[in-house]
Amino acid sequence: MQPFTYLTPGSAEEAVAAYAEAGEGAVFVAGGTNLYDLMKLGIARPSHLIDVTGIEGLDTISTEGEELRFGANAKMSAVAAHDHVAGQYPVLSESLWKAAAPQLRNMATVGANLLQRTRCLYFRNGAGSVSTVGVYPCNKRAPGSGCAAIGGLDRGQAVLGTSEACTAVSPGDWPVALTALDASVEVLGRDGARRIPITEFYRLPGSTPDVEFALAPGEIVTAVTVPRTEAGRRSTYHKLRDRASYAFALASAAVALEMEGETVRRARIALGGVATVPWRASGVEAALAGRRLSRDLALEAARGAFAEARPGRQNGFKIDLGAQTLADALMIAMDRA
Amino acid sequence: MPSAPFPEIARVDARDKVLGRTLYAADVPQTDPLHAMLVPAAITRGRLVSLDPGVAGRVPGVVRVLTSDDFPVPPEPDPDGPPPPPPTLTAQIAYFGQPVALVVAESLEAAIEGAEALAASATYEAEGFVAVLGADSPREEVEPRRVGDAEAALAAAATRIEDLYEIPVQHHNPIELIATSVRLSEGRLIIDEPQQGVDIARFGVAGALQMDPEAITVRSAYIGGAFGQKGFAQRQTAIVARAAILTGRPVKLVTPRGQLFHLTYHRPASRHQVRLGADAGGRLTGLAYDAVQENTPGGAFAAADYHEGAGRLYGIENYSGTAADVFVDRHAPGYMRGTHPYGACFAIESALDELAIASGRDPVEIRLANDTATDPLTGNPLSARHLNACLREGARRFGWERRTAETASMWAEDGSIIGMGVASGIFPAAVAAGEVTLRVSANGTTRLIASGHEMGQGIRTMLANTILQQLDVDPDGIEIVLGDTDASPQFMTAGQWGTTSIVSATADAAARLAAAYAELAGERTPAGNLNVRLARLRRPYLEVKGRQKGPGQDASALEEFRQRGFPLAGPEYPQFTSMSHIAHFAEVHVEPTTRRVRVARMVSIVDCGRVISPRTARSQVYGGVVWAIGHTLGEGSEIDPRFGGVLNDDLADYVVAVNADIGEIDVGFIDEPDPMISDVGAKGLGELTMVGASAAIANAIRHATGRRIRKLPIRVDDLL
Ligand SMILES: Cc1cc2nc3c(=O)[nH]c(=O)nc-3n(C[C@H](O)[C@H](O)[C@H](O)COP(=O)(O)OP(=O)(O)OC[C@H]3O[C@@H](n4cnc5c(N)ncnc54)[C@H](O)[C@@H]3O)c2cc1C
Repeated sequence: MQPFTYLTPGSAEEAVAAYAEAGEGAVFVAGGTNLYDLMKLGIARPSHLIDVTGIEGLDTISTEGEELRFGANAKMSAVAAHDHVAGQYPVLSESLWKAAAPQLRNMATVGANLLQRTRCLYFRNGAGSVSTVGVYPCNKRAPGSGCAAIGGLDRGQAVLGTSEACTAVSPGDWPVALTALDASVEVLGRDGARRIPITEFYRLPGSTPDVEFALAPGEIVTAVTVPRTEAGRRSTYHKLRDRASYAFALASAAVALEMEGETVRRARIALGGVATVPWRASGVEAALAGRRLSRDLALEAARGAFAEARPGRQNGFKIDLGAQTLADALMIAMDRA
Repeated sequence: MPSAPFPEIARVDARDKVLGRTLYAADVPQTDPLHAMLVPAAITRGRLVSLDPGVAGRVPGVVRVLTSDDFPVPPEPDPDGPPPPPPTLTAQIAYFGQPVALVVAESLEAAIEGAEALAASATYEAEGFVAVLGADSPREEVEPRRVGDAEAALAAAATRIEDLYEIPVQHHNPIELIATSVRLSEGRLIIDEPQQGVDIARFGVAGALQMDPEAITVRSAYIGGAFGQKGFAQRQTAIVARAAILTGRPVKLVTPRGQLFHLTYHRPASRHQVRLGADAGGRLTGLAYDAVQENTPGGAFAAADYHEGAGRLYGIENYSGTAADVFVDRHAPGYMRGTHPYGACFAIESALDELAIASGRDPVEIRLANDTATDPLTGNPLSARHLNACLREGARRFGWERRTAETASMWAEDGSIIGMGVASGIFPAAVAAGEVTLRVSANGTTRLIASGHEMGQGIRTMLANTILQQLDVDPDGIEIVLGDTDASPQFMTAGQWGTTSIVSATADAAARLAAAYAELAGERTPAGNLNVRLARLRRPYLEVKGRQKGPGQDASALEEFRQRGFPLAGPEYPQFTSMSHIAHFAEVHVEPTTRRVRVARMVSIVDCGRVISPRTARSQVYGGVVWAIGHTLGEGSEIDPRFGGVLNDDLADYVVAVNADIGEIDVGFIDEPDPMISDVGAKGLGELTMVGASAAIANAIRHATGRRIRKLPIRVDDLL
């Protein structure tokens, strides 16, 4: 542990200014469920914590206008339990319910959730902390040090979107649901506010796996917006994991369907647990459009999502599991009226 | 005379626990304590070349750094003497995460910061190492155990099954972490730590620091889960004690969970080769069983013990038991609930399921047909063996007759495939000689001082129930003093012998106290309970000692107890052998698409002799079954052979079962005393509860999917 200062700005503008003023080592913190963990692991070593949870009005949930709008500070549990969200957009609600544990969901915010870092075991172990005993190289944590997961214990690693430098999975569930629904992230920085489509928010690892988000230093996430869609009703977030609760996805699928009878007019699909970023499966969407949905078709189309998959030593099962999970998700969504 | 069944009473310490009043070792208040943090080694084998204590010393609040220079040179190991104490801080590195230094500071934060700075300053000379058990690692054979001619029997068998089963490295993850809290009091060391054997810890510290054991007290009043992890002397105890001596202040260490995966005892990885044969009538005729496990040279977890249970599961006359260690560069393995029979029964009970399928027999029937009244390994009688009663009662409660034998022949309403499996488990019934002191006072109190450790199994409740069964004393006035080296000699509470031993001694004490009262009262018959009657007779208290010797033990065993030795007997007694038994029935639901497995229900019926406390006994079985579900479907410590440390070293990534994983669990007891082991007739059940459960689940998965998975954990990867 190293000493840090602690600031509690009252507005987003103040937070942005505080960040700029603090200089080197400034970090925003919301629920702290990821950041404090990373600090204990020695991965994050901030000198200034800027706590955003005191910002006035940043936790509002609005479902009235053209789009759903979730203030960055809204708690995961609050959004999951919101009547309109749960009733009209089960994919969003379920992605939050199936994440983490009640205690974590009561602390964690839907804005910070977008920025949680990977659970790759080699990333988490090895920053010299005494609470985890490891010395593993990791390009994400220490650029240029190498990737121990490639050629190592890689059961949990990604099969899609990987690079020679990194195969770490993007861990969040909520970002996968948001990706299926074409959400955007609203941010505020020194140069003002901007809106980033979620599909552009996450960076593929390429040769710089340490650069994960399209967020400039000092930019604060203020809200997440989701365009209204009828497909929200026929949606689900289906998650496969090593136990029934309190585990990250081995494979997951966010699906929202617009149907005409038994025919798919339009499918929106994103995959989790299998890729280095929340993975929009546009190819599968195209393969389903205009077709009569059956489990056979669903599985055949789902397999297409993994045509380019690059398995390692132990994670090849994710190709089959991912396809089965997506096919099951499509069937669950179809049955919802 | 065997006792009558015991009534159910509430856990005597439940209320305090629920209110958070129970003090675990790290909670024991210390005046002005220092906080400590260990510095883990960053290599798996080799030598620490240099450390710069200065970098830690510069952290505000750091008071002292301890390195190998602060400890006496260990004595030359004496092959005839007691086992050497665990090493303290050494420059020689034998496993990843081994402590190389201790930082002591005014706050925990400063201790952590100092330890991290120190760790970063370390330089090492690394050597080659072997971190995990490999398929063809060199074997260190142990003495085989053979009866009859297994090879001939297998050659002649009508049905023969041969396969290899694997158990991964598994770590206990009780919520209470490894902790040691030490203070000095008038030249004595007072040590509080979660321990299943406080005298062992005491002798360990005395040996490591070359001190007089009489100057050391070790206490472990309550343990927040032990399961074998805390049975031996632990490495950090003497290190923290030394820090208290050097600083002259109380020192407290609570290790982070990540360290627990590196510097403690654990279940070693093991490989089990089973060859099992039966004749045309379904009678098992031969079993050749070879077990190989990870160990360290001189490690106390003996490979030979795999045969203690395996050789007695059924009446198999031809048994060939071989076993070996493979040395790995890790912390020594140790006991973990179910110990050797856990792996043995996963393998043999899976193989028996295969044999039932191959010979077209019902898995319950084939087990019933192979019962035995004789210990195949010794030829002596087996006392009070009720495995078949467990199987019959389990089959009845479970509804086994509804099972159809074909693979994937049963379907649930939600579209998942139902699989049903059965397996037996067995565990030795050992007993330790011991002595307790019981005092019933006129002021309303009843005080029992005993050897024993309360790790949540409910030993206080059992002892209270034993007293209440025989004496009319005020239940609220009962105080039970356990796990304190000042109060009584303390043998290790493990291997499920605690109840058998100390309950019997307590029953003896209660009988003697009743006799002493009868003598005191003579013709007088005052009213009230025993406490009140003593008051009426103007007698402040009556105190007696109660004793227990195992079958075949003589007075020297009690003397050994008093000398703080380890007078353990069984399961082979001079005239007979005693084992506990369990039958597990599992129903799994397997999703046909993703192959997700859910254990919908388990029925577990136990033959543990007399049940001393029905509520805590049931709770033991629930806990064992829950843990077995976690073991079967999730748990495994992942070690990258290139590095040697455990990667998934936290509760998020080491997959223990959560509530949502657990379906219905129905527990039953035969509750027939074993009249040969003791007057009370308890055989112990804590270890037993997990044994066989993983095979029952694996057998159910085989029934549902047709897939035989011969390693744990069984995950979707294996079933897709
Ligand atoms: C044991 C465990 C299990 C979990 N399981 C799951 C799971 O199954 N699925 C899942 O999706 N998640 C899971 N999580 C992750 C959890 O959802 C995240 O930790 C949580 O959403 C992060 O929110 P927070 O408010 O606590 O973030 P913090 O820890 O406060 O912050 C996270 C990051 O966001 C930054 N940040 C915070 N607020 C802002 C802002 N307004 N603008 C810019 N940057 C900001 C911080 O600087 C930090 O980098 C799990 C976590 C744990 C500890």
